Amino acid sequence: MSVALSQSIASAASEASATTAVGVKADAPPRQPISMVLGRFSAVFLWAGFIVIFGLLKPDIFLTVSTFRLTFSEGVVTAMLALAFLIPLTAGAYDLSVGAMMGLSLVVMNHFSAYHSSVPIGLVAIGAILLCCLVGLVNGLLVVKFRVNSLIATLGMSQVLMAAELKMSDNRQILGSFSDGFQNLGTRNVFGLPIVMIYLLVLGAVIWFVLEHTPVGRYLFAVGGNAEAARLAGLNVERLTCGSLVASAAVAGIAGVVYAMKIGTFSAEAGPGLLFPALAAVFFGASQFSRRPNVWGTLVAYFALAFGVKGLQLAFGPGTFWIQPLFQGLALLIAVALASRVVGRTRRSRRAQRETSDPEPEPLEPGEPAGQNPVIELA
Amino acid sequence: MNALEIQNLSKTFSGQIVLDRVGLTVGEGEVHALVGQNGSGKSTVIKILAGYHAPDPGASAAVHGRPLQLGSATDAHTSGVRFVHQDLGLVLDLSAVENLMLGRRYPKGFGGRIKWRDARRVARETMARAGLDIDVRTVVGDLGVADRTRLAIARALPERDDDKVVLVLDEPTAALPAHDVDLLFGTIRRLQDAGNSIVIVSHHLDEVLGIADTITVLRDGKQVATTAAHSIDHDTLTRLIVGHALDVSAGAQAPVEASATPALRLAHLCGGAVVDVSAIVYAGEIVGVAGLAGSGREVLASMVTGRLPRLGEVAVDGLPVRPGSPRAALSARVAGVSGERARYGTFPNLGVRQNLTMGSVACHVRYGRIDARKERGEVRRWISSLGIVTRGADAPMTSLSGGNQQKVLVARALRLEPRVLVLDDPTAGVDVGAREQVHRIIETGATEDRAVLLVSTDSAELARICHRVLIMSRGRVVRELRRGHDLTADAIDHAQVAGAAAMNSQEVPTCQ
Repeated sequence: MSVALSQSIASAASEASATTAVGVKADAPPRQPISMVLGRFSAVFLWAGFIVIFGLLKPDIFLTVSTFRLTFSEGVVTAMLALAFLIPLTAGAYDLSVGAMMGLSLVVMNHFSAYHSSVPIGLVAIGAILLCCLVGLVNGLLVVKFRVNSLIATLGMSQVLMAAELKMSDNRQILGSFSDGFQNLGTRNVFGLPIVMIYLLVLGAVIWFVLEHTPVGRYLFAVGGNAEAARLAGLNVERLTCGSLVASAAVAGIAGVVYAMKIGTFSAEAGPGLLFPALAAVFFGASQFSRRPNVWGTLVAYFALAFGVKGLQLAFGPGTFWIQPLFQGLALLIAVALASRVVGRTRRSRRAQRETSDPEPEPLEPGEPAGQNPVIELA
Repeated sequence: MNALEIQNLSKTFSGQIVLDRVGLTVGEGEVHALVGQNGSGKSTVIKILAGYHAPDPGASAAVHGRPLQLGSATDAHTSGVRFVHQDLGLVLDLSAVENLMLGRRYPKGFGGRIKWRDARRVARETMARAGLDIDVRTVVGDLGVADRTRLAIARALPERDDDKVVLVLDEPTAALPAHDVDLLFGTIRRLQDAGNSIVIVSHHLDEVLGIADTITVLRDGKQVATTAAHSIDHDTLTRLIVGHALDVSAGAQAPVEASATPALRLAHLCGGAVVDVSAIVYAGEIVGVAGLAGSGREVLASMVTGRLPRLGEVAVDGLPVRPGSPRAALSARVAGVSGERARYGTFPNLGVRQNLTMGSVACHVRYGRIDARKERGEVRRWISSLGIVTRGADAPMTSLSGGNQQKVLVARALRLEPRVLVLDDPTAGVDVGAREQVHRIIETGATEDRAVLLVSTDSAELARICHRVLIMSRGRVVRELRRGHDLTADAIDHAQVAGAAAMNSQEVPTCQ
């Protein structure tokens, strides 16, 4: 969490090399203080800590294959939503409609399986995902063409989607009548792992590849880091932002299909309740590994919290249903508060530097200051 | 008794002396002009008076004979020192009366209800004192610049008419057309007749000579002269501001033979502070643009690179470039670098490598994947050829010093192999050593098939590397200096300061 510290060390290092005036140094791995290295892996340590603590407290019921399988498979859909939220966040846009979007995909799946069972379920799944993409496109157009703040646009959209879901389900649970073969795709174990976990890892790997190894991913991070500079560098900021919201909708749609495979029942509470845990995982995960929103940080952060919740529930009995929101709320607050504190400190010190070094600054021309989203500055 | 008396005012910023024992005496009912080049210390004087900075110990000040504590905003206000800053500080969404009542007490009735009728009457009366006659319910955003200026002045006036103030106007005419300048001066004279004292900061010497009773000249933080305005002429004042007479024999370097191919053509550019600029930059040529604050110099480069919208034509090799689109400019092979790195250049969340290749990584993509090793190789070549000091190709961008960040951005522009390179104050906030290196990079970058447009506030920089320098004033090019003929840093300084006077005062600068 000590970004400011690392920066001061980094600038000291660059000054030192400037005085030697040799130009380039070898690409030695940057040395970092141990506390920072630990901070970058805090979610891993937290996860391991939970396993050790609850393993000691309840070895008989916590340290079992079935508990692990259960915790993983229960978390898959939420973790997928976290990945959906992550994609536009790299470009500095928030998609708060991921939960409702998953609900949309789920209600379509259940509706067709219950009332129009003649349509092949694979076709329905593809249709549901395409429908989500379409809604994502509307989100994107609202944000880039109508200049609606992404928070507001997607929050509004989530309510519209809720309405559609309530209408379609008639405000009742829909028990989907899925074939055994289809349900098997969501409940089976492969190599001892729940099959849905494999889906999640594949999805994560694809998103990771796109974000970290393709031009599109790099351009998304550029838009998130400095949108105006991105525009000046020739990037199509509007298309990137819009595309990221479509991609997030598609991933949420896939999450809905997986939910249908795994559980098979639609209820109106299913989607929106998953938004917050997903969001907490992304923000916590953004402080991990590369210190910007990233796939593996998100997944590790999510499952660290999920194992903590599971352990607490097992250790303290069925009366602890309130543990989960408390846990996830605190994780989000602590992760973001620590990050913001660091950002605030660097801002102040930069302002102080500017004032002392630049006694007569040129008046800035009027215009919006480069808006930066504090979360991206975690990076 | 003097309205304002400042003695022995010094200010040091981290060891650098910005103001050195400056004194300023403004008589009762006097218009006192404060003039000097960019960086001469004018703004620092104003900022200390306004309480934004504290002075070094030893300074003293008095308003109407009562001691004033410098560096305290409240003390300045209660002693009757009022400010109209260059940006005016008006809230554009509020009406004139609401703006005027900011910082004043609204007349209130039962239960704290604002008596709007009374408030409007007060506003009308106050505005009349500043010579402004408009409906007080007008939203400020709908007013013209001249009316806004007078509204800001009205807001600075004391509540009671018989209270006298010292009114400080910082560059009040920078954004005003000539006709409105006359109106503003009418307002200033009216306030002067009412017994107020006025301190005016301005770059426009003809205006200063027309309105001021006394003129104080600052140069490099020192008070060079304080003199009555009627006893000095334009040339003498220019000489005082710049420091010495213009050396006519200067310009020893040989003129540069540029190829006869025009690479960049600007025709009647217009927008913002730019009124009408036409120019041609030939391939192999470095053309500089200079001008004081408000001359239009600030926005010219951005209009060429597509960051800001514009009227008029920009053409590269005869082909017009679509305005307002950085993508269009880039595909016409116009690459830009801005001195405002943090705002328009760098990506703080990415590393040096990603910052350097941003916008054009296609050459390193294989099967949809960025070949990081190949990319890193190219970045290392740039790092060594431009002498970028960094821990490595993958160091965070924020770990580099300002000068080295700037070199990364120059590399980003150069690797596009642009036909036209547009540099907007590229060495702003860059230390001396790195500045030299950036200059060398620009000079070697101006190869035979490249045209360079260099906009800068640094006259020495322009004189050193440019083949020609265009001097801007009030949105137009008023002079052209050529290497080997009359191009020196002093000549640029002189031409900038004198530029405003050369303008026909009847012309109203607006876009048609």
